[in-house]
Amino acid sequence: MNSLTDRYVAATLRTVPAPRREEIGSELRASIADMIDGRTGVGQDADTAEREVLTELGNPDQLAARYADRRLQLIGPRYFLVWWRLLRLLLTFVPAVAGVVSGVVKATVDHDPGAAIGAGVAGALQAAVQTAFWITLVFAVAERTDTKLPAWNVDQLPEAPRERQVTLVDSCASIVFLLLTIAFFPWQHFQPWVTGDGSRLPMIDPALWSFWLPVLLAVLVADLGLEVAKYRSGRWTWPLVAVKAVLDLAFAVPVVWLLLTDRLLNPDLVQRFEWLREGGVDDVARVAVVVTAGITVWGLVDSAAKARRPAA
Amino acid sequence: MVSEEVLRTHLQELRRGTVVVASLVALRQPDYGYALLQRLGAHGFPVDANTLYPLLRRLEEQGLLTSEWNTEESRPRKFYRTSADGEAVLARLLDDLTAVRTSVAGLIEGEDR
Repeated sequence: MNSLTDRYVAATLRTVPAPRREEIGSELRASIADMIDGRTGVGQDADTAEREVLTELGNPDQLAARYADRRLQLIGPRYFLVWWRLLRLLLTFVPAVAGVVSGVVKATVDHDPGAAIGAGVAGALQAAVQTAFWITLVFAVAERTDTKLPAWNVDQLPEAPRERQVTLVDSCASIVFLLLTIAFFPWQHFQPWVTGDGSRLPMIDPALWSFWLPVLLAVLVADLGLEVAKYRSGRWTWPLVAVKAVLDLAFAVPVVWLLLTDRLLNPDLVQRFEWLREGGVDDVARVAVVVTAGITVWGLVDSAAKARRPAA
Repeated sequence: MVSEEVLRTHLQELRRGTVVVASLVALRQPDYGYALLQRLGAHGFPVDANTLYPLLRRLEEQGLLTSEWNTEESRPRKFYRTSADGEAVLARLLDDLTAVRTSVAGLIEGEDR
């Protein structure tokens, strides 16, 4: 006979520690029978009484957890805050590092620069999932083994937030823009436009890879460092303005000079398109020079103005 | 007016510890789970069965209750009784309950004790 009570008791005992299973089973069975008797004693029919009693006792897994004094939470209040802080901290850099490494490995070791961005994104996602999983697992185990955590003390208080001139969002946006710009150079070389006859042509003269393009890339990488330094200082300072001026000029001057001497664009590409050949290339160069100069000057004026503003 | 939900949470918090006190008092006279449930309910301590049964086991493991199987009646039942340790803990708990009542009364009258 497989009554509801049998099923209920079996379901409860399933997750109760084995040595106590039999005793808890006998006691629970007696208690259920007593409760049913209590209801049939006042005129209820036996089946309804059984259903109501078991409903009152509730989910057997939950009852078993109460018997075993087991925690019904993955990570409880004691560990949650530490878990959350550590998780956020690790997720700020682990996926980024893993993504960059995967991308670089794909581009260099595997000789497949075209797939580098995809590999980087996949690597970053995987690292994020792995980080979250393992950190959570460690804390779930700690929760169940009552591992002691160092007590909080006042020295851990963070600095009160300062009024920031340079916000995290601004810095992140700048860094993303710089990374995209850096990525553009190899991208235009390896994944260039397909022209009408199906051949692929880099936009920038490949001859420049021997000197000028590495220089420009180095300047962009230095710009990344500047962004980090700027964020850490929280506001523009005169040394930062000076470094920015040097870096901006180190980028803009070669670009303008290469444009004006017709050396930036790939000559094969110019040959391919009639409007470029027929003087269009000069128009492109003139517009690009004006835009580059405009951006550079505006950036310098803006940073200098912010550095002059007194600290809030 | 505060919501029923808020009120119920506070009442639950207030009542939580008193189930242990009530059980230790009631089990000076040995009894089994369901009968204790009925007795507590009749004396104004409504307890859920799924709270009380595991609680009895826990108190037994802590040595505050002793137990004995009674097989004389139609169905074997486990009878619990408050142990000597249980009495000692109960005395402390009752003292504390009195202290809480005194403190609250003192606050209400606006006097320092």
